[in-house]
Amino acid sequence: MAEDFKRSRILLVEDEETLAVGLEYNLTEEGYIVQWAKNGREAVDFFKKGNFDLIILDIMLPYVNGFEVAEKVRKDDPQIPILMLTAKTESGDKVKGLEKGADDYLTKPFHLQELLLRVKGMLKRKSWYKIASEKQPVYKFGNNEINFEMLNCRHGEEEIRLTPQEAMLLKYLVERKGEIVSRKELLENVWHLNPDIETRTVDIFIARLRKYFEPDSSNPVYFKSIRGAGYMFEEN
Amino acid sequence: MRGKHSLFYHILIFIIAQLVWLSLLGLWIYWYVSNYIVFEKVGEEVSPQLVYDVQNALPFILGLILLIGLSFTTSLIFRHLNVQLRITELYDNFISNVTHELKSPLSSIQLYLETLKQREVPQEKRKEFIDMMMKDADRLQSLINSILEISAQEKKKLLQDYGVYKADIIVKDLIDESCEKFRVAKENYQVTSDASCEIVAGKDALKVVFDNLVDNAVKYSTLKAEIVVSLICNSKKVTIVFSDLGIGVAVKEQKKIFNKFYRIYNKEIPNVKGTGLGLYRVKEIIKSHDGKITVLSEGEGKGTTFKIELPAYTAMSNRQLKKFLKTEKLNQV
Repeated sequence: MAEDFKRSRILLVEDEETLAVGLEYNLTEEGYIVQWAKNGREAVDFFKKGNFDLIILDIMLPYVNGFEVAEKVRKDDPQIPILMLTAKTESGDKVKGLEKGADDYLTKPFHLQELLLRVKGMLKRKSWYKIASEKQPVYKFGNNEINFEMLNCRHGEEEIRLTPQEAMLLKYLVERKGEIVSRKELLENVWHLNPDIETRTVDIFIARLRKYFEPDSSNPVYFKSIRGAGYMFEEN
Repeated sequence: MRGKHSLFYHILIFIIAQLVWLSLLGLWIYWYVSNYIVFEKVGEEVSPQLVYDVQNALPFILGLILLIGLSFTTSLIFRHLNVQLRITELYDNFISNVTHELKSPLSSIQLYLETLKQREVPQEKRKEFIDMMMKDADRLQSLINSILEISAQEKKKLLQDYGVYKADIIVKDLIDESCEKFRVAKENYQVTSDASCEIVAGKDALKVVFDNLVDNAVKYSTLKAEIVVSLICNSKKVTIVFSDLGIGVAVKEQKKIFNKFYRIYNKEIPNVKGTGLGLYRVKEIIKSHDGKITVLSEGEGKGTTFKIELPAYTAMSNRQLKKFLKTEKLNQV
């Protein structure tokens, strides 16, 4: 099982040569197959040609920046996990990255172990999700129909495609229907992050799910906020 | 984007303030004129012998002058505020750029150190990693130096190792070094000189000048950078013409590119990294050599030419020689 994602193909998008060489070495040592794109334009080209399992994406890139790359990638492939790597520390940039379709982010300078664990975690979750969704591929609530396998959803007449992180969060909430799930629990189990820091991440993803599936996202009926406790998925 | 919004917001506030101000002025004039007759009557009753003359209009005129003065001052304050806003915006950008420029090499060094600590790295890879780390350390050092030296230069406290050099040799050497540093292949640059003449220059300072010009030529070229440097000597000055075939500088930007923190944005090459200090520093260095730098570009996409004029050693005044030689002596001690 652990070896399943060993030969995963990773697209490394980083314009700083020194950092890219070091990352490429370490990822290759871990058993991944790495392709290095030096700028945003190259990243989009490589992505279209290659069949990748994960993207490590810097934000400040020549020609096409990381946000734009994420957007372009998401249009073609909602499933591929994207890990954003950024030297920017303003939380606005992190939020923007997540909104543009990144699943996780790491700020520079980072620890090698943390990066490798996150990459491994993302690939592991991807394969876990694949197995979990095969068991119960389609789920319906209200006028929404979710295909967890294909990440295709239908909201009334509207077709929506979910990102893997959105789908994983949704699956986690659906499996705990009627239960209150705290942000801490979500961060630990869906993101595998240290819950002391990034609780805002959960809120952004919940807002995304509400936008897709709620009849009125400002008055949620399915994805309810429980004050001081977290969130709850409910089906009336 | 945020800056534009805040500027618009301030202009709006200013216009509203002026409207309120003028309406108050109008009201005051209206009140004064309509009450003038009442004042007159009251005055007549209280003191019938009081003579009305021009002096009575004095408070009114003084009031008007005061109001005009106040409006003028408000506009001045507003203008000043606008300038301050623009500087703050540039400064914010600078801080964010510098943070980025500091963090990138730092994360790379940290990555290599952790790699060397955690893995059994083969000997030749180890050497490669150490070279990479040294490159990053150099980058950090030159960034920190540029910030510190600018501050010293502004306070005129920077001591330079001035010396007398043959212009063609020093320029050729420095261009070779810079091109090697920024990976411009030998066939992509050339240095020509029509005659040999001497200049008084700080070698390290001139190196900063050429490093910046070459770095810019590389960063602002869509294809490979191509650089042509030519040297023209006459009895009074040495002119160094540095041309590249990069994206050029729009005419309206040409005056601004030497400003502190100023950076140009070009849709052909977005997201070029930098601090906005490079050309400012170049200009300051050339100024400290009693020289002049100008930029010429026919516009976007047509390449850029920098013209540096330095006084020839033989044409230097006693005052200039004393200024530079004094430092030279100081350095030799």
